Amino acid sequence: MSEEFDPHLQELRRGTIVLACLQLLRTPGYGYGLLESLERHGFATDANTLYPLLRRLEKQGYLTSAWNTEDARPRKFYRTSADGIRLADVLHAEWRALTAAITSLADAPTSPEEH
Amino acid sequence: MTTTLTQRYIDATVSSLPPDLQSDVRDELEGSIADAVAARTDQGEDPDGAEKAVLTELGDPAILAAGYADRPLHLLGPRYFLTWWRLLKLLLWIVPACALFGVGLAQALMGADVGTIIGEAIATSLSATVHLVFWTTLVFVVLERAGSETCSEWSLDQLPEARETGAGRSDLIASLVFAALLLGALAWDQLRGYVHVDGQGLAILNPDLWPWAMLGLIALILLEAALAVAVYAQGRWSTALAVVNTALSVLFMSWSLTLIGNDLLLNPAFMDHVLSDPGTDEELPRVLATAMTAGIIIISVWDIVDGWRKASRDRVR
Repeated sequence: MSEEFDPHLQELRRGTIVLACLQLLRTPGYGYGLLESLERHGFATDANTLYPLLRRLEKQGYLTSAWNTEDARPRKFYRTSADGIRLADVLHAEWRALTAAITSLADAPTSPEEH
Repeated sequence: MTTTLTQRYIDATVSSLPPDLQSDVRDELEGSIADAVAARTDQGEDPDGAEKAVLTELGDPAILAAGYADRPLHLLGPRYFLTWWRLLKLLLWIVPACALFGVGLAQALMGADVGTIIGEAIATSLSATVHLVFWTTLVFVVLERAGSETCSEWSLDQLPEARETGAGRSDLIASLVFAALLLGALAWDQLRGYVHVDGQGLAILNPDLWPWAMLGLIALILLEAALAVAVYAQGRWSTALAVVNTALSVLFMSWSLTLIGNDLLLNPAFMDHVLSDPGTDEELPRVLATAMTAGIIIISVWDIVDGWRKASRDRVR
């Protein structure tokens, strides 16, 4: 893909990561595991963006966390809180509204001169 | 065992974090990096190469730490930039000029030679400028980090007024500089004198004017300066401002004409010195008084008329 469009694509994708994390973490998950799930679902994310983001969402109360020491490697598991679920629902509704809005642009091509 | 790259990377990341975050971030980052390295070695990469690749992908530890600590990676963000820039511009209009003039005057009063006066004045105003920019910026950088919300929201009221002539910034600056020059000239006259006789400074204005008449004149000059600020702040002349301007001019006229009429304005010693010059007309004091009276009346009346003219023009627009 042309590099010239990258800044615009990044701009458009920004914010979708938060929604994706909140949805995926309705079942508890840990840093690297989440990174892989995001990738699998088509949200290419950098580790250095995701890890601080998880902390931030936890600080804002949208995620809760707990250390799991049962595995060979201790891991910090995050889970979407009740507030987080409400945020996810709002963001999701907004995303659907935007999708509808963008679709309507393609469906009804009216020139800006008409009122 | 030597410290591994991963340990060094994690140390570099957590060292700048708040203490309560450090151990938690350290443990989590250790796990995440180990997970990522394991995922690569499972694919058949050699452990050293995998570790390097994972750490390279994580990028500069300072950026990662800023993300964890929610620290901005800029000196001044969009929230404060314009406030900072507006304040700085305003201060740069005022402070260096005042420093230049103030130091120049102080040096002159101390009897420094011209070279020293100019050098000191320029050096001080330069260092005042550097201090001004530094401290103003520092305050805003702290505000940016402290995250306080002192910036008022922009509203339509803040749109700059269409400036009428005589109400703009250059008029304000001219008025203020003129007032400062006048005060400086007064101080110079009274403290050092323009005319020197036998090594003694001779004031042109009567030293007996101090304190009341002189303080009155200083107050008038300061009020004129305040009027200029008021005109600038309103962006236009108004009836009220024209009234104040008229009052100030009338006060100045009565101040100076009363003193001239009673032969109190000029220093008698100075007049004696002038008259002692051979070939000076005996009539000189009378001519001088008449000329000054005429000049003061013409300037004051013109000033009054000018204020009303601008007020009526700005009202029509």
